Amino acid sequence: MLLHIGAFQLDVNSQGVSSWHRLAPRTRVLCAILFVFATALTPNARWETWLVYGGGLMSLIVSSRATLSILLKRVAIESSFIGVVLLGTLFREGGTVLWQWGWLQITSEGLVILGSVTVRALLCLLMLNFLVLTTSISALLHALATLKMPPLLIAILASMYRYIGVLIEEFATMRRAAASRNLLNSPRGQRLVLGNMMGSLFIRTYERGERVHYAMLSRGYTGLPCVTEDFQRRSQDIWAIVSLILLLLLGQVVYFL
Amino acid sequence: MHHNPIFIRQLSYAYPDGHEALRDIHLSIAATEKVAIVGANGSGKSTFLLHLNGILLPQTGEVIVGELPVLAKNLRAIRNFVGIVFQNPDDQIFMPTVWEDITFGLVNQGLDKHDLHHRAQHAMYAMGLEPERYAARIAGNLSGGEKKRVAIAGVLAMQPQVLVLDEPSAQLDPRSRRQLINLLANLPLTQLIATHDLDLALELCSRTVVLSHGEIVYDGSTAAVMNDAAFLEKHALEMPLSYRKPYCLLADRPSDRPHPATLGAWESRG
Repeated sequence: MLLHIGAFQLDVNSQGVSSWHRLAPRTRVLCAILFVFATALTPNARWETWLVYGGGLMSLIVSSRATLSILLKRVAIESSFIGVVLLGTLFREGGTVLWQWGWLQITSEGLVILGSVTVRALLCLLMLNFLVLTTSISALLHALATLKMPPLLIAILASMYRYIGVLIEEFATMRRAAASRNLLNSPRGQRLVLGNMMGSLFIRTYERGERVHYAMLSRGYTGLPCVTEDFQRRSQDIWAIVSLILLLLLGQVVYFL
Repeated sequence: MHHNPIFIRQLSYAYPDGHEALRDIHLSIAATEKVAIVGANGSGKSTFLLHLNGILLPQTGEVIVGELPVLAKNLRAIRNFVGIVFQNPDDQIFMPTVWEDITFGLVNQGLDKHDLHHRAQHAMYAMGLEPERYAARIAGNLSGGEKKRVAIAGVLAMQPQVLVLDEPSAQLDPRSRRQLINLLANLPLTQLIATHDLDLALELCSRTVVLSHGEIVYDGSTAAVMNDAAFLEKHALEMPLSYRKPYCLLADRPSDRPHPATLGAWESRG
């Protein structure tokens, strides 16, 4: 989520009208968590299971009219970060050796693990990005609160979301100031100035944190944020959870057919 | 409303590095009085304001808010009594959306849903923020003037009896500044306004306290001190622009001599 925060409009499709949008944010978060756990806990090489999960997820994405280009772009950016981890799974031992160069070898087992982990990661990223794309951040935070996530953790997430934009803006201002004094002309100068800017940003963050804490205290903050969200269970939310569980079970059953 | 909401006696405060930020402050502020706190950078204005709702506790002397001394055990009541609007709205608006930020203090006050909605909406309308348009806005995407209004609405929603503002006109364009002055002029609350904007102080506050190196060097009529160029210059301040307008007749020129009221205040301080 934080990788795209510079864009500032994370929930591009949160105002849509579809059965997914009609669900309570808490139900959407619950569905996403169930889906991610079911996908991640499925053993390796169960391609049929993931095909069912992927089909279900794609139909959900299409029916809720989420902007596919943005969704795929975000998944692509995040995939580049987990690419290094994925590559590491390729060189596992076991099975037939398909290619070897010195101690480096690619085996059939390695290929299966790489494929399985890649499919899992892609499905999980698609689901989580779809959730963030279609649900406002404030609704997500409230949903996490109603799901009994520790309030302090939610307060930290909320502050991160609120202030990362301010930090980016401060960093950009410092960068402009450095560029206007010709301090970013050489690669060495760039490294030096950027390092100093990071340090300065860290100090400013600390000072700002202190001022924000003062502002919170002056409005009655006592250490733990209060949660006011009251959740009403509706039939459509129950149906959504039941349907998801049926889909997940179907995916597991398909493997044994 | 309490008739004498703030009473300060012999207040001193030094930071851990030994810097003495406040020295022997005596002050009494009456209900609905509007008082400007002026002084150069580092004169102790912000440190003084932070004592008013117990963010900083007095090291020596005492601060009494309403009937309660500023002590750790009274902080909850004191923070409902005194609302502080900080200088930089980005420090004050810490929740992701406008609605969440304005209701932050109300949630901490333990209000029920109905009262919370009523008070938050009332505060938003008072600050010219229509709830339908602004409630769901992301706080980080507001303009400087909007942020300032949201910050004040968040404090007003808590219905404090004393409103403390730190540099309220900083970062505002002329129109937003004018709107803010009009709003503060019509708010029937006790107000303490720390500012470098002496025109704002002159327009809003009948009384001014000048701080210099942590000490009160003047406490009296705003009009009198703003007319005293030599005194203001001595304490790294300047006459307000409105006092320095061109004049047609020599008789209308600003006086070089201190105002009699100012002289009286000096003499009384010995």
